[in-house]
Amino acid sequence: MTKKSKKWLRFRVTSVLVLFLVLYIALLSRAFQLQIVSGNELKSIADKQHTRSLKLCPERGLIFDRNGEKLAVTVLADSVYVDPSMVKKDREVSGKLSSTLCLKEPDIRKKLLKPGNFRWIARQISPLQAAQVRDLDLDGVCTIQEPKRFYPHRELACHLLGFVGHDSTGLEGLELKYDGRLKYVSQKVVWGRDAKGNRIYLDERSAIPNNGGDCNLVLTVDSKIQYIVEMNLKAAVENTGAKGGNAIVMNPKTGEILAMANFPRFNPNAYSQYPASSRRNRAITDCFDPGSVFKPFVAAAALEEGVVSETDVINCENGSYVVGDRVIHEAQMKRHEELFFPEILKYSSNIGIIKVAEMLGKEKFYKYITEFGFGSETGLNLPGEAKGILRNPSQWRRVDFATIAFGQGISVTAIQLITAMSAIANDGILMKPYIVKGVVNRQGEIMEQYTPEVVRRVISEDTAKRITAILTDVVGSEGGTGEKARITNVSVAGKTGTSQKFDFTLGRYSSKKVTASFVGFFPSEDPQVVVLVMLDEPKIKRWGGVAAAPVFRNISERIVSCYNRHLNLPDVVAERQTPEMEIVQASMSEVIPRNEDVDESLVPDFRGMSVREVLKVSQDRGIDVRLVGSGWAVDQKLAPGISAETDQPCYVLFNEGF
Amino acid sequence: MKIDRRLFVNFDWILLFIVMAISGLGLLNLYSAGFNLAGGRGEPLYIKQIYWILMGLILMVAAFSIDYHIIIRHAYTIHAISLFLLFLVFFVGNITHGSQRWLVFYGFSFQPSELVKLTMIIALARFYKDNQIDEGYYLRNALILLFIIMVPFLMIMQQPDLGTSLFLALLFFTLVFFMGIRRNIVISIAAVSSILAPLLWFIMKDYQRERILSFLNPERDPLGSGYHIIQSMIAIGSGGFFGKGYLKGTQTQLKFLPEQQTDFVFSVFAEEWGFLGVFVLMFIFLSLILWGFKIARNSRDLPGTLIAFGVTMFIFWEVFINIGMVLGLFPVVGIPLPFLSYGGSSMVILLTGIGLLMNISMRRFVLHP
Repeated sequence: MTKKSKKWLRFRVTSVLVLFLVLYIALLSRAFQLQIVSGNELKSIADKQHTRSLKLCPERGLIFDRNGEKLAVTVLADSVYVDPSMVKKDREVSGKLSSTLCLKEPDIRKKLLKPGNFRWIARQISPLQAAQVRDLDLDGVCTIQEPKRFYPHRELACHLLGFVGHDSTGLEGLELKYDGRLKYVSQKVVWGRDAKGNRIYLDERSAIPNNGGDCNLVLTVDSKIQYIVEMNLKAAVENTGAKGGNAIVMNPKTGEILAMANFPRFNPNAYSQYPASSRRNRAITDCFDPGSVFKPFVAAAALEEGVVSETDVINCENGSYVVGDRVIHEAQMKRHEELFFPEILKYSSNIGIIKVAEMLGKEKFYKYITEFGFGSETGLNLPGEAKGILRNPSQWRRVDFATIAFGQGISVTAIQLITAMSAIANDGILMKPYIVKGVVNRQGEIMEQYTPEVVRRVISEDTAKRITAILTDVVGSEGGTGEKARITNVSVAGKTGTSQKFDFTLGRYSSKKVTASFVGFFPSEDPQVVVLVMLDEPKIKRWGGVAAAPVFRNISERIVSCYNRHLNLPDVVAERQTPEMEIVQASMSEVIPRNEDVDESLVPDFRGMSVREVLKVSQDRGIDVRLVGSGWAVDQKLAPGISAETDQPCYVLFNEGF
Repeated sequence: MKIDRRLFVNFDWILLFIVMAISGLGLLNLYSAGFNLAGGRGEPLYIKQIYWILMGLILMVAAFSIDYHIIIRHAYTIHAISLFLLFLVFFVGNITHGSQRWLVFYGFSFQPSELVKLTMIIALARFYKDNQIDEGYYLRNALILLFIIMVPFLMIMQQPDLGTSLFLALLFFTLVFFMGIRRNIVISIAAVSSILAPLLWFIMKDYQRERILSFLNPERDPLGSGYHIIQSMIAIGSGGFFGKGYLKGTQTQLKFLPEQQTDFVFSVFAEEWGFLGVFVLMFIFLSLILWGFKIARNSRDLPGTLIAFGVTMFIFWEVFINIGMVLGLFPVVGIPLPFLSYGGSSMVILLTGIGLLMNISMRRFVLHP
């Protein structure tokens, strides 16, 4: 090879090399473009290909009563879904599913025929139905567990608790008000799939945290009292033929709501089966003309202002008194000549109280009733509270002023009424009512704590004592309108009320439709419990004294007998009245049944568990369990926390909550 | 044959090291590509690949032991044997996926079309040794050239294996242009190919047309013929800069990536090792190619230069086309990635080719009559 040709060859090799280096760099830039420039985009495409994710209902925090009783829990319920691409015999599958789940067959088949590989069929079904679905063993039909809200006591305190929708969002009551606190996290189940669509790794659950959520509520409500109230209210509504009613029990010294009930009730586990009207917490959302139960507040104002005293005699005009263009009569057409001031309340004289109000004057009268809290929300921590209707005194005609004095022409809510009465019971100090004691997170840290909150002093302690004495006479002395509210051994103060309802179809007050009510407290020496009972349109017994007062008595007697260790001694302080728990204690000990470090030698709290879970846990601990019913455990014979080494079988009662 | 002591001194250890490094990476990657593939008969492919590498190493030793001048002397015979094997395929070849490409001896299957790539280089080296560049071409010479390329080209096309036959033509023209060619020949080739190209479209099989169409627009049929290329780009792109980690490539392990042990083996690597890994791998390939160019430059004589250049271009084009294909730059053609794709014939032929490079490299100082 010549030197020249060799040189030429080398030049060729080098130039070819340079050319190919350029091509090579082009390749690398393409790799750069794919991996760096559009890397994230392609990565998300890849993730979409190989993962399927499913958002489950978020878990919700628990709701406890003041003693640590669980009112709302979370259980794991099965939801059924279908992978339409795996279903071969759609007719057979939809037929079997529709008969098992009681769903319409065409609806299911429509879902089966849609493209894609995921459709919900039914969510949060009962364990029994889930087992039946699994037994069908249909291709492409699967169940997955997701958290479900469960109210073990069914209707109990339903209006307070409210309910949650399918997506686990609070729709009413405390569930709505504290939704942000209770809602834990939306759980996301992610599973991988390969190119053929097979699931390969399962159930990697990840949580989408909800800031400030993951909390439990501890209520001021005592579920025993709540139960007593609800049972008595139900009986009363049925006995009087009333449309409905409500009742509230409150601690006057603190403003804590011990019970709040409405009738008719609903079951929050199956809220959609009830009309919206029976799901409303009427004790705070609905207003009514209070009638004579309003008179004590007028009387208290007059005493406070010193315009009357107990020894003053009021001329009651013999049962007919002309105000403006109207003639006012006493209830039941009674006639009173002259009454001592306390007798106006005792006999519930309309004319007497008008005279007292007139002595007080419009402005002062208005000032006191607004200070008692009428016309504005009490600020109770429940959603949907109404203000009531209280017009400005400048718009009052003379007759309006007169009727308002005996509680017609003013509209109040039950919660306003009992709060105002509590101010009298609490030596004249108006407390802000509250129903949530605290919000505690799972670690036991208190996120929010509610303590008794003074709104204002409305009347002096002396006036309060004097009006209490008068109200004690209303119940305690012969011939008083509240006779039927008496309880053995305990002195009760209270006032009855019967008011005509405004009939919107007639455009005037109806003579037939009434609300009968009673508000009272005991023991009157040192009031610890205030109880309000209101019956809407009672048909058989139409007067507060005969319809509502006995309900008050029944409720109060039960409260007294349940807690008589404390209550028959008048000097016992309210704080020791119920064996309440510290809120932290309640949430710490009760919240975490799923915690790992539970004591294996004790009987566990089965409540909220499914049959399968109960069997598993009891087998682990060697407890002989007898199962009754199906669904989720709601009650057990052996109390949680006692030693598991016992020969007694533990009966566990199950309920599906419907 | 005398063994010169200087041959040992001049043995190209660096080349051996580079090739072993790439093959090692290839095995590692093949293990991952086959990691989650269900069962399969017999041994996993990476084990088989080890056998092929061992066999290739033996042939490599043979290829550098025999002085390449002796090989050049028998070049036409060797090419003729290779063509005969190719011819045999039509009669006793195994049919897979609708084409007849394989010869099977005692359970080992072999693709003569791979061998032809190498023997064609040797035959061309022989041709240019006989016909010095400045002597000009006669018709006889042109016919020899035509015979060297056209016979295997047509036979491979008939198998049918369009990718390999076009690759052979590409390699051929690279060498021919490298050696210099008259302008009117260039013009006539251009003219003939511009006439033949549309013709080619008609003789192409349907699947071949599909591939070209889906290259032009992969989204045309994302679940059909465009699937391969889309999945490959997703796998590579989702690797990002650092990759998803060894054995953790989701697209690979969940079998979204097709042909991951053969043509799309680079996508597996790119997904799991990311751009960083791609950069390193391409760097190693580049050093191999540069080393090949160095051997070509430093060779004492023209046949040495030509064989070294030919083998280097063989590797370069395969790397370039395969990676370009999986990156979505070229249509899907069945060209494997050297040392990484699973394939016995390819591995053995490549290692033999490396043996030839070593042969030329270690004899660069040896004088010949």
